[in-house]
Amino acid sequence: MEENSAQHLTCSNDSERIDPYGFERHHDFDSYKEMMNEYVAVLNRRSTRWSKLLQGKPRVEKNLTVKRYVRKGVPNEHRSRIWMAASGAQEQLESNPGYYQSLLAMEHDAKLKETIHTDMHRTFPDNVLFKSKAEPGLQAVLYNVLLAYGHHNKSVGYCQGMNFIAGYLIIITKDEEKSFWLMDALLGRILPDYYSPAMLGLKTDQEVLGELVKTKAPAVGQLMAQYPGIWTLVVSRWFICLYIDILPIETVLRVWDCLFYEGSKVIFRVALTLIIHHQAEILRARSLPDVCECFKQITCGAFTLDCHTFMRKTFTEPGSLSMATIDKLREKCKQHILEEESRQR
Amino acid sequence: MSRKKTVKAKGSSKSPKASPSSASGRTGKGLSAAAAASSGLVYPSRPSISNSGEFYDISFKVMLVGDSGVGKTCLLVRFKDGAFLAGSFISTVGIDFRNKVMSIDAVKVKLQIWDTAGQERFRSVTHAYYRDAHALLLLYDVTNKASFDNIRAWLTEIHEYAQQDVVVMLLGNKADSTHNRVVKREEGEKLAKEFGVPFMETSAKSGLNVELAFTAVAKELKHRTMKEPDEPKFQLQEYVDKEMRTVGCCSS
Repeated sequence: MEENSAQHLTCSNDSERIDPYGFERHHDFDSYKEMMNEYVAVLNRRSTRWSKLLQGKPRVEKNLTVKRYVRKGVPNEHRSRIWMAASGAQEQLESNPGYYQSLLAMEHDAKLKETIHTDMHRTFPDNVLFKSKAEPGLQAVLYNVLLAYGHHNKSVGYCQGMNFIAGYLIIITKDEEKSFWLMDALLGRILPDYYSPAMLGLKTDQEVLGELVKTKAPAVGQLMAQYPGIWTLVVSRWFICLYIDILPIETVLRVWDCLFYEGSKVIFRVALTLIIHHQAEILRARSLPDVCECFKQITCGAFTLDCHTFMRKTFTEPGSLSMATIDKLREKCKQHILEEESRQR
Repeated sequence: MSRKKTVKAKGSSKSPKASPSSASGRTGKGLSAAAAASSGLVYPSRPSISNSGEFYDISFKVMLVGDSGVGKTCLLVRFKDGAFLAGSFISTVGIDFRNKVMSIDAVKVKLQIWDTAGQERFRSVTHAYYRDAHALLLLYDVTNKASFDNIRAWLTEIHEYAQQDVVVMLLGNKADSTHNRVVKREEGEKLAKEFGVPFMETSAKSGLNVELAFTAVAKELKHRTMKEPDEPKFQLQEYVDKEMRTVGCCSS
């Protein structure tokens, strides 16, 4: 078992500089490999623990032990199963047999098809599995998942960003139908409405982060207050893409472990950790472009690449963050945005 | 050493919005409150170095808008880096910008070029930024009829949210795709004429007119800002017509 997981994650293709998920890493393959060489010990240890925990258990329970385990990272071989179980996607899949297939079989909205199609060759062009000529081609799978989801949740349809999320789900589950139900769990239950046409949930969470920063890193809060609308510039992509293409893939997957198990709060924890940890750098910014540039820089480098330490920090550096606080702020910010928008009309 | 030039700001009273911040606040504040002229221009107060470390005299904000997939990011990358890497672009989510310093009549002009997500729902997130833009490059894809048909809606949106004197230029992109073309050059010209905006066809792939589009905009903005009293007004469309290369034109 130990060997297996180690092998799975380190069998990256050296000569072509491709990581185990299919991404070409021409520029940072060496630092990635270096990190993985150290991380593999952690993975092996976690893998053994997880195997013991799950042994003989057809169902994954939710309890403090599992929560602790999830925070320390779900090994790749269990990831699909844990995400499915923790998010309720498994339950949905089992209680709706044939539903996904029926979505694919129905007559499809032409405009939706076109919109999704536009993004097909623009989703992970740097991933060998998603290239149009790849065998087995994941582009077709991606198209199916997005098309099915768009018809399943008509009020959302398709929003850019969902292509990347579905892509990651497909890479991890290697299963179309599971990816669909995980999308449903994320967009339908775990996240606020980031992707619906009004994007109210997104705008709200951007403002919520602003409020949290005011309390947790007041100096940064003051700096940001000088630039109205800046939170949209610096974090909308973080939220919409759930850190894909912002943080290194291994780190994103660790964040998603917690996202599926604990809910959307972790999105704020990650943002706060990045900001609090880099306060000094951010405070050196003297202009809006400076700030934007800085917010790009703080997501790169050793701090975010070392996913294990990074995740430990997300649960310590921002301090306590209760769901009640988040709920309250979300309500307050949402009202504020609605008022603003009706005033402008 | 400062390369800052003392240039007279254009009349701020022309601002269409009641809110005085529409032109003066946002872009200027960060660099220096004192240097933020009422025109919304970014005048560097200290040795002005753009993100890439280049000096500049004046700075303008240009936004790329248009339907999803018309090639906004490709156009920007072609202009910024002179590259076109087929199949290497990811769809733009949200809003982002890049800087490029150009030399316009011996003046270093920094263009801060904002790239936006084209999907309709993102407009509610991005249109707040139109207000500070000095120029908008509105793109459609000559191989996609719908993107052309949507130009009217885009222009309505622009008129609603942008400054009244914003420079708008219509660009028919992907002009290299002769086989898949569905929008004729004349159709683009006609629409542009109807709305009184300059027009040209571009290709991020071949590079056709890409530099020209940005140069023309930079020239117009620079002239507006630094024009000597007796200097004639810069004629954007005339300049473009003179410099423009058309598809299949052997003189290019």
